[in-house]
Amino acid sequence: MNAIMPNVMAMKGEFIQATWETIYMTLMSAIVSAVLGLLVGVLLVVTQPGGILEDKLTYSVVDKLVNLLRSIPFIILLAVISPLTKFLVGTTVGTTASLVPLIFGIFPFYARQVQNALLDVDHGVIEAAESMGSSPMAIIFRIYLREGLADIIRVSIVTIISLIGLTTMAGAIGSGGLGDVAINIGYARFENDITFMAMIIILILVFAVQLIGDWIVRRVEHN
Amino acid sequence: MTETAANAIELKNTSVHFDNGDQQIDAVKNVDLTVPRGDIYGIIGYSGAGKSTLVRVINLLQKPTAGTVIVNNQKIQQLKPVELRQARKKVSMIFQHFNLMKSRTVQGNVEYPLLGTKISKADRHAKAEKLLKLVGLSEYAGTYPGQLSGGQKQRVAIARALASDPEILISDEATSALDPKTTKSILELLKQLNRDLNLTIVLITHEMQVIKSICHNVAVMDAGEIIERGSVAKVFTEPQQKLTNDFVETSTNVKEAIERITSTIKISEFKADQELMYFNFIGNSTKQSVVSELSQKYGVDVNILFANIDQIDGENVGYMIAIITGDLAGFNGAVQQMKTEGVKTRILTDETLKGGDGQ
Ligand SMILES: Nc1ncnc2c1ncn2[C@@H]1O[C@H](COP(=O)(O)OP(=O)(O)O)[C@@H](O)[C@H]1O
Ligand SMILES: [Mg+2]
Repeated sequence: MNAIMPNVMAMKGEFIQATWETIYMTLMSAIVSAVLGLLVGVLLVVTQPGGILEDKLTYSVVDKLVNLLRSIPFIILLAVISPLTKFLVGTTVGTTASLVPLIFGIFPFYARQVQNALLDVDHGVIEAAESMGSSPMAIIFRIYLREGLADIIRVSIVTIISLIGLTTMAGAIGSGGLGDVAINIGYARFENDITFMAMIIILILVFAVQLIGDWIVRRVEHN
Repeated sequence: MTETAANAIELKNTSVHFDNGDQQIDAVKNVDLTVPRGDIYGIIGYSGAGKSTLVRVINLLQKPTAGTVIVNNQKIQQLKPVELRQARKKVSMIFQHFNLMKSRTVQGNVEYPLLGTKISKADRHAKAEKLLKLVGLSEYAGTYPGQLSGGQKQRVAIARALASDPEILISDEATSALDPKTTKSILELLKQLNRDLNLTIVLITHEMQVIKSICHNVAVMDAGEIIERGSVAKVFTEPQQKLTNDFVETSTNVKEAIERITSTIKISEFKADQELMYFNFIGNSTKQSVVSELSQKYGVDVNILFANIDQIDGENVGYMIAIITGDLAGFNGAVQQMKTEGVKTRILTDETLKGGDGQ
């Protein structure tokens, strides 16, 4: 091991630390983005033309905002958003500071995915619920979010995996985590085994997310 | 006031207009519809006639462009959102594609209308169990809808529809996705609910067979308008409109029979003492023996090409097409006299058949 990966073996502690940082950034930004994304996704579905709380103005404003945010390349967003990050966190470096761009980078994407998942909920079931006297809130919680749960989990897996990717980009500009190690140590010092090891750990994280997600989907789906 | 109380639903001069930018559709045009309490009222029409739109007005899933809607003695257009949702619980609906929630068990689906009400969890369970028993699906309580057959799904949907103790049940093509045997059993169930719970049922279909087997009254809808209505027995035996006649003749196989007969024999080549006659017997089916009596009396020969017997609203109705040979004047005269006794006849000629409706 020492022969194949001399630099990695010398940096065991740093790798463990970086892995935790990646998990921390992914989890924290995922939680906040989940809340924001679900809110916006639901808002888009209920206010769309023909939706249960149709509101053309709200729909079109939110829809355009989501598109706008999704159009900004993440690497640019990282830079553009730094004043806001500084204002909110007090600094622009470190794992916590990276949460701000990560959230803005991912939640519009997630909102769109949630919207699509909810649009797949059978319209007939919504109509049935309305005919049974369900309120809009009841339809959102008891029908949309419940009937769409399996699909929401599916898009959540995709989103978390994208998010892991984004954390590495944030890492490249100094937020810590496996991206930071791979680029600022492995790549910068030509220590290829470090870069390679960082990639292996990221792949393991991605597979773990995929496996756990698939398992949950199987539990909640009853087709 | 006493008049309203006797009626479950009254639509007055109701219209629904869709404006999709360049596309303007009058889905429902000035419809008056009165459904007596406890009735099974059928609405028949081809696809796109406006049936679904019309019944969706009853629970205001569709806001009418014009007209008054009175349901269970309430002018529902004047209700506040909360009151409207309360009113909707008394007007349940079942659908062609069942619209069950696939993430909930059968029991969960049936309990759904009771969620968020004051009813306790235990009572909710008990009620769902009772309803599942009523529709014959007790052993499926824990199953998910994905595992059920079409007929079973519709039974679950019916149980769910009953959970809120409705006074009116609207069935929008509820049997259209089911095979004939399952259709029959679902219709039997609806009939039983109408009888036992005094449930008013409004039933949409494009099949006269369905109307015939359970409805008391029927309205025929075409291009947003009700073009004919009345008791099923009357509309069935004396259709006034071509479309109504179409539905009737399709469901009795008379249409098919006339096509088959006229493709094999030529009325224009009949001898002077021959005619093709269509008979319609209402009431006691033994009336068909009347024809054989008359044929003996006038010495005519009756060659039956088609005969069918049907039950409409509990009454027998017979249909027959035959070639009559012999003393036509005497026979026709005598058979005309039988009209008041429920034997109706029509001489089929190339002219009368040209329209294709046999009228
Ligand atoms: N929400 C809607 N927007 C626009 N047009 C509609 C809408 N719903 C129904 N229609 C139109 O109204 C007409 C009647 O439809 P519908 O009531 O569904 O007929 P039916 O149930 O008899 O098949 C059709 O031409 C249909 O395309
Ligand atoms: Mg329809």
